Amino acid sequence: MTRPGILKNWFVIRRDLPHARRLALTFVSFLLPLAVWCFVSYVPWIWHPDVKIELSAEREGVTTVFTAGDHVSRKFFPEFADAVRNDNAVVLAARSAGTAGPGAKRKNQKLLRQLAPLAVSHGWLPYTEAQNDAVLYTLWRDIATGVKTTRKPALTAENLDIVRQNWTLLAAAAPEFSYKTLPDESLLKLIPQGKPANPIYLPAPDEVIKTGLRDFTAKVPAGELTMGQRYKRSLGIIFMGFLWACLVGIPIGILCGVFDFFSKLFEPFVDFFRYMPAPTFSTLLVAVLLAGDAPKIALVFIGTVFQLILVVSKTTRLLDPSLLEAAQTLGATPRQMVTHVVIPGILPNLYNDLRILLGWAWTWLVIAELIGVKSGLTEFIETQGRFRNFDRVFPVIILIGVTGFAMDQILSWLHGIFFPWTGKTDPLSRAIIRIMKWPVTALAAISTRKSEIQP
Amino acid sequence: MNADLALPDYREQSPEVTARFERLRQRPVALEVSGLTKKFETPRGVITALDDVSFSVHKRELLSVIGPSGCGKSTLVRILAGLETPTSGELRVYGESVSGPGSDRGMVFQGYTLFPWRTVKENVMFGPRMAGTSAFTADSEAREWIELVGLSKFENAYPHQLSGGMKQRVAIARALANQPRVLFMDEPFGALDAQTRCQMQSYLLEIWKNVDITIVFITHDLDEAVFLSDRILVLDANPGRVREMVEVPVPRPRTSDQLFAPSFLGVRKHIDNLIHPPGQEHKEAPVLRMAVADPDVV
Repeated sequence: MTRPGILKNWFVIRRDLPHARRLALTFVSFLLPLAVWCFVSYVPWIWHPDVKIELSAEREGVTTVFTAGDHVSRKFFPEFADAVRNDNAVVLAARSAGTAGPGAKRKNQKLLRQLAPLAVSHGWLPYTEAQNDAVLYTLWRDIATGVKTTRKPALTAENLDIVRQNWTLLAAAAPEFSYKTLPDESLLKLIPQGKPANPIYLPAPDEVIKTGLRDFTAKVPAGELTMGQRYKRSLGIIFMGFLWACLVGIPIGILCGVFDFFSKLFEPFVDFFRYMPAPTFSTLLVAVLLAGDAPKIALVFIGTVFQLILVVSKTTRLLDPSLLEAAQTLGATPRQMVTHVVIPGILPNLYNDLRILLGWAWTWLVIAELIGVKSGLTEFIETQGRFRNFDRVFPVIILIGVTGFAMDQILSWLHGIFFPWTGKTDPLSRAIIRIMKWPVTALAAISTRKSEIQP
Repeated sequence: MNADLALPDYREQSPEVTARFERLRQRPVALEVSGLTKKFETPRGVITALDDVSFSVHKRELLSVIGPSGCGKSTLVRILAGLETPTSGELRVYGESVSGPGSDRGMVFQGYTLFPWRTVKENVMFGPRMAGTSAFTADSEAREWIELVGLSKFENAYPHQLSGGMKQRVAIARALANQPRVLFMDEPFGALDAQTRCQMQSYLLEIWKNVDITIVFITHDLDEAVFLSDRILVLDANPGRVREMVEVPVPRPRTSDQLFAPSFLGVRKHIDNLIHPPGQEHKEAPVLRMAVADPDVV
């Protein structure tokens, strides 16, 4: 049996795959981690070490209180539920023995609110009414009498039963909420409910997308920054730091590459300095440049410029020396050799170096934003991370990644447009170059035609 | 049986050739090299690459330099072009002592060395532009030189789009556009395939005919040297010394038919003997253990 063509030739040693296959694999390389993430998040029996509490209850004699939205381990959750059942059993026992004491009014009010988070998440109750006892009271009534039912069973049968039992007592007291008329004897607690969940540090994709969209579109109180403004500020710090590094580093790098004098004068110290981690200068920078963006930009600058000098000087030295010899025999002066041979000759490689170093600059961003007064996207990550709101942290991390990656891809594609003579230009870029050059070629064509007419 | 016996002596010249060499010697000396010595200091000691090399080239002469590998041909031409400094000796171009590179001496390298970021025309314009010629003048001059080497269609192409032979034609045009007084060519066709090389040799003679230029041509190819040159400078190896200056008795204009003419073969044989002394070329290969005897393969 012959294998179909699509299965053939995927694994050939040191041979490039066809274009379509490469594209497909690029797509898959992004899809794969995403698929793993979805897999562990949505397939119930794979992982889910936690239970996310949807409906919580307080236990008698235990001070630790869980609220809805908390994660507890899968092993602990049944113990938690059983403890609440025990409390109910005690209440029932006391009731049947006739020893149910009074004084449970306050507790009962709390107990009524047990339903609120679940009611909000199932759309029974608007978020703003979660603390409104009167509305909750009618909710208890509606559920007990079967007026309100949900598409999916929000309450377990056990809890539904408890709702009905409690409502019998409540209805006997008063049809509307009033603190005074609340029964004095203990009501039954709702048994905790929860659903299997990822650990808190890995929220499911839909949660990340939902909170991401909410955070990025949210209106913020006056005086705070929107996500867009934070993003802009972070980008500003990167670009200013990188720009300064380029302005200082490129000329020095080229000089070092061209003249051994500058190479021996600068490079040993630069080589030494780059081993001192840039963040170690953070306190110094803040002391000298004060709060604000200046020390942050300086940190990106320090983190980038020394690498840049070394990389640029190396790139300059890699220029084919025979081109310089050719220029010499054509009568170029040393200055002309630098401006007309070295600089145009190294540009494509220099461009690629800068692309890689821009990636370096991104890695300094997070540290830069943490020094002095925290700012930008990192401040948001810091704050939300502290509250363990990882579903709000992930979108920002992904945003930084996507920005860096997209920028690199765009710059890489532009290489073909900027440097058509390297012979690595794809057809699309060639077409764009032709369109951009059209006015020039048209003018040249007209001028040659004119000169041909003249004798 | 022995073809050598039938070949004329390399010193035999027809009257026209003798007369031509006579006229050539009357011309001014374009390049005079006297006592050129180059020593390299290496960790293993001093190596003498060139030892007291002296010769002169007349105006519009085409002189080839040939020799066994390691004889310092490339060192010689690099010193002549000013890319390296000699340990001692002097170099005169039309009587003026020169040192260091200059636009009076052009150079064509084996590795093309075109500026990849410049189009063909911009490459040819490089020398004049560096010398301060206006863009307009340099442009129209460059077009003429490109036409001379037959690449008008490609004047806006980048070097990476050209074949090896075309690149070398551009390199020649670029060197000539600078209007040097002497043109050095360092194995310019060494990287080309055999067919292209033959074409390029004819091209070069054609260009040389039309342009007032003196050429010093470095090669390791005997046929190329004989086909192109008026005279051939044969160097010895280790240290590089002048072995002999051979006058090529093959009349001009040269065509590929002459490759098998007796005068051509005679001088070729003589130079071959100078470079590879007889008796050294036939070394018996050792008989391998796995050797297979086959009377038809000997």
